Amino acid sequence: MKRNRKLVMAALTLLLLPAAPFLFAGGQQEVEDEKNVIVYNSFLSDPDARVVDEALVEMYQDRNPHVTVVHSIVAHETYKDALPAYLRAENPPDVLTWMAGETMRFYAERDLLLDLTDLWADESWDEDYTEGFRELSSYEGVPYFVPTNYYWWAVYYQKSVFEEHGLEPPETWDEFLEVCETLKANGVTPFTIGTRGRWTAGGWFDILNMRVNGPEFHMSLMDGNESYNDPRVLDVFENYWRPLIDNGYFIDDAAAYSWSEAIPFMTSGEAAMFLMGDFIRDAYPAEYEDDLGFFQFPIIDPNIPVGIDAPTDGFMIPANTRNPELAKDFVAFMGSLEAQEYMAQELGRLGTHSKIDRSILTESQIQGIELVESADVVAQFYGRDTHDEMQDRGYDAFVEFWENTGDAQRILDRLEEDRVRIFQ
Amino acid sequence: MPDYRSRRKVRKKIVSWIVFFTVLLVTTVWLTPILVALFTSVRDYDDIILRGFFALPEEVSFDSYFAAWRQGRMRQYLPNSFLITLPALGATLLLSSLSAYAISRFRFPGRRPIYYMFIFGMMLPLQILMIPVFGLSNAMGLYDTYIGLIAIHTAFFLGFNTFVLKNYMSTVPPQIFDSAHIDGCSELRIWWQIMLPLTLPAFAALATLLFTWIFNDYLWALILVRTGDKMPVTTGLASLQGEFVTDWTVIMAGSLVGTIPTLMVFVFLQRYFIEGLTLGANK
Repeated sequence: MKRNRKLVMAALTLLLLPAAPFLFAGGQQEVEDEKNVIVYNSFLSDPDARVVDEALVEMYQDRNPHVTVVHSIVAHETYKDALPAYLRAENPPDVLTWMAGETMRFYAERDLLLDLTDLWADESWDEDYTEGFRELSSYEGVPYFVPTNYYWWAVYYQKSVFEEHGLEPPETWDEFLEVCETLKANGVTPFTIGTRGRWTAGGWFDILNMRVNGPEFHMSLMDGNESYNDPRVLDVFENYWRPLIDNGYFIDDAAAYSWSEAIPFMTSGEAAMFLMGDFIRDAYPAEYEDDLGFFQFPIIDPNIPVGIDAPTDGFMIPANTRNPELAKDFVAFMGSLEAQEYMAQELGRLGTHSKIDRSILTESQIQGIELVESADVVAQFYGRDTHDEMQDRGYDAFVEFWENTGDAQRILDRLEEDRVRIFQ
Repeated sequence: MPDYRSRRKVRKKIVSWIVFFTVLLVTTVWLTPILVALFTSVRDYDDIILRGFFALPEEVSFDSYFAAWRQGRMRQYLPNSFLITLPALGATLLLSSLSAYAISRFRFPGRRPIYYMFIFGMMLPLQILMIPVFGLSNAMGLYDTYIGLIAIHTAFFLGFNTFVLKNYMSTVPPQIFDSAHIDGCSELRIWWQIMLPLTLPAFAALATLLFTWIFNDYLWALILVRTGDKMPVTTGLASLQGEFVTDWTVIMAGSLVGTIPTLMVFVFLQRYFIEGLTLGANK
């Protein structure tokens, strides 16, 4: 009997042993968190962006040795799915990367973000950032976001191919069609594209709709205030987009390729142009990069304002962060002129700070800034400007249209049904 | 008669050639992904963009291995994997050997229901447990800690381990324990000094299997760990996928480095590993 009791005691101790760390670990960690630790989760998971992100964290750490930045880089797609959980958690990360505009306002509207009015004032960002960027960072006039970098969408082209056929970057729609026709006549497919990731087709819809119907109508459509089977949208599909596809101005079987798999068509000279964001440089083979130029998408109607897609990324702080002061301090560094100049130099994106020294920028960056500055309206991108679910339906529709150019009316009717349901 | 014999020889030879080629074919099919991974890891990104995945490397470079180690943070993920795998392995083996010992040696009321409970636990698919386990670890403050991950691995494999070890322990003749008992040996000492040494082969086999399973786990690590500095190799490598650009050379290099520990375990404990495959198959 006695031995049995001993046995039971021994067994219990053994069972509890592995559990012991549970009892102490929790408390200890909390104390540490309160003090000088900020948790920074980032979606900058591209190889080049990752290096810059880590270097910036290191720069901040060097200056603030008493602070520990727990930095995680999460795969971009995973991050998007995880963000609502980050923001709603009891113990959220203190600093988060995100996208400016509607996608950010969605969370600001739900009171999940920290009001950054004082940070904007303290850092004199109210003066150092243009009105446009302040607007992109605000919900109902209150800034909840700090933009730090952006890039532009444009028509990228192989300079040597244009030279070979005596072509100049086109400025009007007629010149544009002529360039396409000349290239085709010489056995070069005008455009390469890979629509397997769907969003590449969204770039085409954005720019055509903005050129034909104006950015104002486009943004209103993005906000769910116009209908997709409006004759103006149908006009874009039937009279502008459809002829380009039907005339064979795009490579065959576009849906078989991811966007980066569409690059070899350009380097090999089979295709000449690519409507893309400036991140194309990150993937473009180094030996061909000097041959890569870009121009503004041609003007279709000179009487309407010029719109451009220039997606902007930056930082925000969850409303229930445990460490708002330190989080703001970190974001203040990321939004500083110094951090932005570093990023602009290393990554080739554009900084949002208006005092950035242009002499440190490359020729193409300066051309990019001019491109964005010459636009009357800066849009973010289809997927960033409209509702999350609408984006999914829209991308599906664009890719379907690509394969069935005769079905524009039916596809748009269906999109309209989706819009009514999503935005009701 | 001699003619007959030589014909049989020829037939035997043909059969062995057929077997050889079949084995060769199957091996090639199995090794293709590994070869592609190997080739991809020594190519550079531009080469992949220009010529696609299925091409031989033009130039061999090991830069992506350095990149995986530094920028890919393998130097952090790899120790993390061990920090999770080893304690989980120790804890689950310790606990399940105790429970298996109790079930195999003592007859007490509820012995069978308890045993069946372990078996049923073994049959629960992991996916069903995902949300409850997440909720529980969040409520206990174990979310995003190593201990939370170690605890779930420990608990998750208890059923299988107990089942396997119980069957193995049942094959040990009970007279050994009885005589030890008569000599005044306590139960714990019998467990430690008699049962464990006798069941060591089963332990070794089980440990090799468990090591690979826990080391290669992706799902639990994905659900229970949020911060990058705590991630094991599996989820760490997954976080290298970019928004626009994913450098597959680095991911492949990282994956290959990540398989080395399991490969080592397999090479050195191969004998037990094969035993482990049939472990618990016969009582």
